[in-house]
Amino acid sequence: MFDAYVPAVVLLPFVSFLVALGAGQYLPRGGALSGIAATGGALLLSLLLAVRVAGGEAYNETLYVWAAGEQFTLTFGALIDPLSALMLVIVSLVALLVHVFSLGYMNDEGEVGLPRYYAGLGLFTASMLGFVVADNLLMAFMFFELVGLCSYLLIGFHFREPGPPSAAKKAFLVTRFGDYFFLVGVVAVFATFGTAAFAGEGSFPALAEAALNGSGEAVWTPGGLDAQTWFTVVGLLVLGGVVGKSAQFPLHTWLPDAMEGPTPVSALIHAATMVAAGVYLVARMYGFYALTPTTLAVIAFVGGFTALFAATMGVVKDELKQVLAYSTISQYGYMMLALGAGGYVAAVFHLTTHAFFKALLFLGAGSVIIAMHHNEDMWDMGGLRSKLPVTYYTFLAGSLALAGIFPFAGFWSKDEILYEALVHAPGEPLLFGGYLMGLLAVPVTAFYTFRMVFLTFHGEPRSETARDPELVRWNVKGPLTVLGSLAVVTGFINMVPVQKVLGVEGIDLLHRWLDNEWGGIEGLSSHHYADIGPYSSGYVVGGEVATVLVGAAVSLGLALTGLLVAWRLYNVPSPTEHTAKLGGIKDVLYNNYYLDELQVWLAYRIEDVAGGADTVDQGIIDGVVNGVSSVSLAGGSRVRRIQTGLVSEYAAMLTLGLLALLVVLGLDGGWFL
Amino acid sequence: MVPVAWYLLLAAGLFCVGLFGVLTRRDALYFLMSVELMMNAANVNFVAFALYYGDLTGQVFALFVIALAAAEVAVGIGIILVLYRNFGDIDVTVPAEMRW
Repeated sequence: MFDAYVPAVVLLPFVSFLVALGAGQYLPRGGALSGIAATGGALLLSLLLAVRVAGGEAYNETLYVWAAGEQFTLTFGALIDPLSALMLVIVSLVALLVHVFSLGYMNDEGEVGLPRYYAGLGLFTASMLGFVVADNLLMAFMFFELVGLCSYLLIGFHFREPGPPSAAKKAFLVTRFGDYFFLVGVVAVFATFGTAAFAGEGSFPALAEAALNGSGEAVWTPGGLDAQTWFTVVGLLVLGGVVGKSAQFPLHTWLPDAMEGPTPVSALIHAATMVAAGVYLVARMYGFYALTPTTLAVIAFVGGFTALFAATMGVVKDELKQVLAYSTISQYGYMMLALGAGGYVAAVFHLTTHAFFKALLFLGAGSVIIAMHHNEDMWDMGGLRSKLPVTYYTFLAGSLALAGIFPFAGFWSKDEILYEALVHAPGEPLLFGGYLMGLLAVPVTAFYTFRMVFLTFHGEPRSETARDPELVRWNVKGPLTVLGSLAVVTGFINMVPVQKVLGVEGIDLLHRWLDNEWGGIEGLSSHHYADIGPYSSGYVVGGEVATVLVGAAVSLGLALTGLLVAWRLYNVPSPTEHTAKLGGIKDVLYNNYYLDELQVWLAYRIEDVAGGADTVDQGIIDGVVNGVSSVSLAGGSRVRRIQTGLVSEYAAMLTLGLLALLVVLGLDGGWFL
Repeated sequence: MVPVAWYLLLAAGLFCVGLFGVLTRRDALYFLMSVELMMNAANVNFVAFALYYGDLTGQVFALFVIALAAAEVAVGIGIILVLYRNFGDIDVTVPAEMRW
């Protein structure tokens, strides 16, 4: 029974992809209904799997061997443990809501090419679910690539306009750049351990752990390199793919451009699939990353830096979805910071809460965009609060969660991340740097979030459309309401600060869930990761309780400061563009620190390298191949001249051949000696 | 008894006469006749060795070759006939299309 519906979770959306692709144009609503049915089924099965895992029935099986060799075997399999069960529920829930929302955003707006759209959504969901259940690194890599392909297809959905295809190409190329390192990392893992399994006795994290503490046999390393150093290199290689997909500095540039895709797709990409894949991958193989302190420090620093860096750019953007795009980069930076700081649970917690509130914000933005007849400029909005009450209140809930205001979901998870970073930071300069940047990003986040809310919903309408917006239907309001409720309550699954301060036991559900309290797989628990990890806790301010209280107070205080500044500046009937006062800084921020230009410049600099490679390829590689063929060709055209078509010459040739044969045989037989 | 070497010399001479005809003549009928000479050279060898070893197999083979030669002449004459119809000549150097 268990065996049958693990693959079914992945196959249901895949079937919806096939249905939409093959028969979408004959179906009512262009295949939307089959997509809704499939993702709904996947959600039910995911919930069932989660219940099973809670009942102590974790699952780790190889389902299909597609290449068996002497050194290693390549397989497809499924790994259902607390982490993947949680992620399955998130992905299928968000995918379901996005499908429903698409009825309002795509069908009701009279878009064409709907079968292609729903086929893309189905494949996207299926690839992400396949990635989540993957039981080995190579399978994960394959689905990781499929996710990238689907994002390409969906970002470039409106391929007749100039922007979307270019944005799709950029997303594809930039993430592919990271994936290149990931692929090398996968090969390195196979070469080192002979397996890429995530869980179990012979899995690569277990082998690495055994090799490092001397209890297992030594592993292969190139050139007799120290195992610790080599594991760091491998970890950093795989991290390349993570940085690309999760849009971390410096490979984040694709994500803001990806806003060219339809808004429900943005919600799916940012909340549950694609961008979440990177962070999930690190969490999935955390048993390996925990062994290499250098990698962890790099992850933490890159994460903290990205969190602050992206937040500053979000401050000056004019378009609703652009602000959300930068907030996504920033929030994934927080998750990376948590992972690097040893806060495995905190990262998964933020992944969960962020999935809900970011999907909510994007769908809310989609609702606003419908209302505004696809004008995304916030300076043309204003006063939408009274016209779109459902959208306003759910959007507000999402914004409070994003800004980290008590007691919304984002507060709990962000606070835990900062707490984990703080208590592990003493003695780790990189981690401490990451923590400080993460803390600095808190007020900036609150500021840009509420700048967006006030500009969109408060004040006086600043355009004709904002005065008379198009109203949205149930298929938009429904998903918003579900996600709005989740953005309020998800934080309560993990109230660690309350537990620590008040001493109430048992309200840290997520901690216990990820610690295999109800069942799981040996060696994949947060407890195990903490044991093998390099960090020890040091409380900077007094004891544990004092640190918790001070940490929470500081982050909440900073968030409220940002919120109040936004309130003062933008919650007025006719707000003005205060960011213009920043002068040159605003231009730098608005142009994303000119990083796009830098990357283009870099691309032109390596033109010579590419040209050289082209010369080698065209000249030497192709030259050898072409040379062989032209020598044979020329030789053939010479030799064929002996076929004169004259019978007498053939007879002469035969005779000469016979004579030659006689001479050779005679010489061999010794007649002439 | 005549030594077998004389027979072999005779056969070799006969074969060379036939070969010379094939290599030098352009007329298809001469071709046929020359080939006939070469075959009979082989026949002489067969019969000579049959006599030398006291084994009749060689003579039976000679009979087969004679039958084969008759068939070959029939086919050869047919080819020459077609050659004449198509090219108005039985010169073997004229039809040289089947080349390269």
